[in-house]
Amino acid sequence: MSESLLEQIAEAPADHYRRLKISDLDGDTLLELSQFMKLSLSREDMLAVQEIYREWNREPTDVELEVIAQTWSEHCKHRIFGATIEHSVDGNSETVESLFTTYIRDVSERIFATKPGFVLSAFHDNAGFIRLDEHLAICLKAETHNHPSAIEPYAGANTGIGGVIRDILGAGKGAKPIASLDVFCFGAPDTTTDNIKADDVIHPLGVLRGVVRGVRDYGNRMGIPTVSGAIQFDDSYIYNPLVFCGTAGVISIKDIDKQMSAGLKVIAVGGRTGRDGLHGATFSSAALDTDSHEEDQQAVQIGNPIEEKKAADFVLGARDAGLIEFVTDCGAGGFSSACGEMLEECGGVIDLDSAPLKEPGLVSWEIFISESQERMVLAVKEESLPELQRLADLYETEMTVLGESDGSGILKVTHHGETVCELDCSKLHEAPTRHLTAHWNKKTSPVDSPKLDDPGKTLQNLLGDFAVVSREPIIREYDHEVQGNTVLKPLAGASGDAPQDAAVMRIDGSDKLMAMGLSILPEWGKTDPYAMGAACVDECIRHLILAGSNPDKIAILDNFCVGNPEDDEELGALVETVKGIAAAAEAYGAPFVSGKDSFYNYFETNEGPVSIPTTILISGMGVVESIDHVRGSSIRRDDSILVMVGTTTPELGGSVFARQSGLDSAEVPSTDFDAAMESYRRFHKATESGLVLSGHDVSEGGLAVTLAEMGFSGKAGVEIDLAALPVSGEIDKASILFGESPSRLVLEIAPENLEKVADIFEGVPFGAIGRTTTEKDVLRVEWGKEMLMVESLSDLKAIWKNGLAQYY
Amino acid sequence: MEERPCAILLKFPGTNCDAETARALETVGFEARIVPVSDLTINTLEDAALVVLSGGFSYGDYVKSGRLAKLVTQQKIADALREFRDNGGFLLGICNGFQILTELDLLPEASLVENTSGRYQCQWVTLENKAPESPFLSQLPETFEFPIAHAEGRLVTKTEEDAKALVENGFAALTYADPVNGSFQQIAALQDETGHVFGLMPHPERFLYKTDHYDPDWESDDKWGSGYYLFRSLYDSIS
Repeated sequence: MSESLLEQIAEAPADHYRRLKISDLDGDTLLELSQFMKLSLSREDMLAVQEIYREWNREPTDVELEVIAQTWSEHCKHRIFGATIEHSVDGNSETVESLFTTYIRDVSERIFATKPGFVLSAFHDNAGFIRLDEHLAICLKAETHNHPSAIEPYAGANTGIGGVIRDILGAGKGAKPIASLDVFCFGAPDTTTDNIKADDVIHPLGVLRGVVRGVRDYGNRMGIPTVSGAIQFDDSYIYNPLVFCGTAGVISIKDIDKQMSAGLKVIAVGGRTGRDGLHGATFSSAALDTDSHEEDQQAVQIGNPIEEKKAADFVLGARDAGLIEFVTDCGAGGFSSACGEMLEECGGVIDLDSAPLKEPGLVSWEIFISESQERMVLAVKEESLPELQRLADLYETEMTVLGESDGSGILKVTHHGETVCELDCSKLHEAPTRHLTAHWNKKTSPVDSPKLDDPGKTLQNLLGDFAVVSREPIIREYDHEVQGNTVLKPLAGASGDAPQDAAVMRIDGSDKLMAMGLSILPEWGKTDPYAMGAACVDECIRHLILAGSNPDKIAILDNFCVGNPEDDEELGALVETVKGIAAAAEAYGAPFVSGKDSFYNYFETNEGPVSIPTTILISGMGVVESIDHVRGSSIRRDDSILVMVGTTTPELGGSVFARQSGLDSAEVPSTDFDAAMESYRRFHKATESGLVLSGHDVSEGGLAVTLAEMGFSGKAGVEIDLAALPVSGEIDKASILFGESPSRLVLEIAPENLEKVADIFEGVPFGAIGRTTTEKDVLRVEWGKEMLMVESLSDLKAIWKNGLAQYY
Repeated sequence: MEERPCAILLKFPGTNCDAETARALETVGFEARIVPVSDLTINTLEDAALVVLSGGFSYGDYVKSGRLAKLVTQQKIADALREFRDNGGFLLGICNGFQILTELDLLPEASLVENTSGRYQCQWVTLENKAPESPFLSQLPETFEFPIAHAEGRLVTKTEEDAKALVENGFAALTYADPVNGSFQQIAALQDETGHVFGLMPHPERFLYKTDHYDPDWESDDKWGSGYYLFRSLYDSIS
């Protein structure tokens, strides 16, 4: 379709909007129209739109089509998570009616019922809230900004963090952002250019630097500490890097509930509206190709954190003054989504003439769907306007009345005196259900464990692997201490540079604290997505508990990134992953309170499409009852006992060791949820009793890496005899030292407390595996009579610290 | 109730350490008032015993750090800060606030430029107390730790000799024990000749409590971190 064809179907063309005659068009032409207007609506969707307008006996305006496209886009509506999926696993078929309802919402609601008063809001607001104490609630939200970051890493990540911060400002009547997390999946920094099989793809190192600086320049300027994160490196992310940004907030419980009503003024605050950021929501609901790097630049913007800081000061000031009835952010879909959400039930009128613009000449749909950054939309009482204007002047941000709510149930938009959109809001949110097929077949098989000639050398290789190396060069570029509440920092221990399992934030006005943790294990999902889902939930909860969280006060978030959902196997991997996280969440009693998904993370290279592996980020927040429960993961004494909690099993699949050894199909460990939760509860009891000096989990790189990392505090040497290690089945050195079976904790205990601690762990897999020593530089590991390794901790630390630094 | 000395915290668009700095001031006994610069007039300083410029990125600091904040301050209240000091008032600038005080010529001539690493650096540093008689440092030991978080904290002077003179003449109130950002003479903080104006790159407000330290075994006799004692020293000399 060309512009001239569009002209043909346009009736009475006006300068600023067009009414399009679609009622007589056939499916092919409708699809062409969708593609030409970049609506990202399928033929089926377009036919449904046509049907709605036939019922209404009129033709849509371009503004209305844009609004429907935004509302129905995958980005906003999560239609694959709502789809009916015919799924089969190893030949057994089942029908899944909505992954979201079945595995996320229903599971969570069952958990809510067992913990009355804990989850205060979930799924419907910008972020889910849990109770911190009698008066305060905390929330967490994570988003992806993958496509923009692929095309323009700095700006993509910059606006990614800016967007999720606005989500928090728009949660409840405005939560205060208090901490951020960022998680990236990139190609390896040492990728050679001949391994990049498409033109105009930015080298992974360029993506890494750009993204880190984007997060840094936004988060640091906003004054929100970036305290938590992870990076995964894999070739499959060269074309589709993943950028997850998350922010946590705090709010008074009384300010969580917000209600719309007729007669409120709708106001916009913050940045102006421009042509930048058109079609971001629909753009992120399609695949990338080389042309995307040229064509879709329009969808990517540069952020202005000071604009957002001023808007944030305004929103929090207005909230404290009791002037906000309803607030939401302008994210994907711009005013159309924000006003749509605000007015979907109540209805109201928005006048585009009053929107402050960056440049003249924008047509109606451009103003309404532009995703220009740093804008918030509020509904307020008319009599509050003078006081709100005073606050806007005080914080030097622009405030404009856009329209008002009227109780009509109709979203009406006017521009230059004409009605350019008039939609029954209840119809807007009824997108056709998609029908998809999926399958997954077992991909693992027993493999022989490789011969381990020199375990010490293997440990060195693992500590230098991109999956394990210190993230210090990146962490130091983020201000992780602004607001003065970062109690457990990303790098800590006696030398201030040893890795920790989770971050813990003090909360102003409360004795309780918030822990923030996360897990992402895409390598596991390549062969066993169910196990990946289960293990990610386990690891996130393990981290939160090690940081001091109460095991009964944890909530989690699911953020998915998938390649091509129309590919049955890729969708099958997603279904299996969802089942894995659901089973784990239910067993641990850790509900999902928010989540997001990103599809079409595949790229048409010169050698065909390359998809990312199905990737799940589980992030979570936990309530820490007392600062005395915060321990850290670094050794503190030179005369302690080290104990292992949890069972070491033989499977090597998904481990960094397996990857280095080329064991691609090895069995992936499964998670025993009940055993794990029992261990975690006992750990918490020991923590409450003040009997644990430090604790670190076993994860990437296995037990040997855990022991080395604990020793990086420089306080003591480590002497281990694995004879008392709780194991299951026939097991060899490689699995013991480098296997990554989940749910395991290594704890440092004062010798005089060992008996008490052993009593607490009675009936749980528990073994004293060694001690800390005054030989500060020595890591020594024996297994019965066999000496497995004697390594210099300072040499190991140098390898670990230099691994990324040399590239960054 | 006894009247508490008043501390005014000037807040520019982009200032983002004002809340925790106010918390620290309140903790030691000040009444802390955050004043957005749009509200700033000559009268703002009337009741104040202390004016604080806290950390952040005033106006984004896209031009030289602190430059725009200086221009706005001069436009709003001209030389009132200097008069405030001459009348016995105290001025504290932390991080971006130090950069602004330097721009305002309220401290000995020096510039804060990009770290030699070319990076933003968020880390803890050991500091040497070179002015134990300073009202800001009197309760701090010879060496102690504060965190830093800046990209432009390298203190330079016209010549290295000028920096040496700052140290020798007692203007360099704090120095880094290690060369963290390339500052001449490893200078971390400056005071003026009255001792009433003090600027430092490190963040005392982030080490208010003992539990703010990265090492869970950091030794302290009470619940406070070293940052507390900077604010406490000041409070005790004012009240």
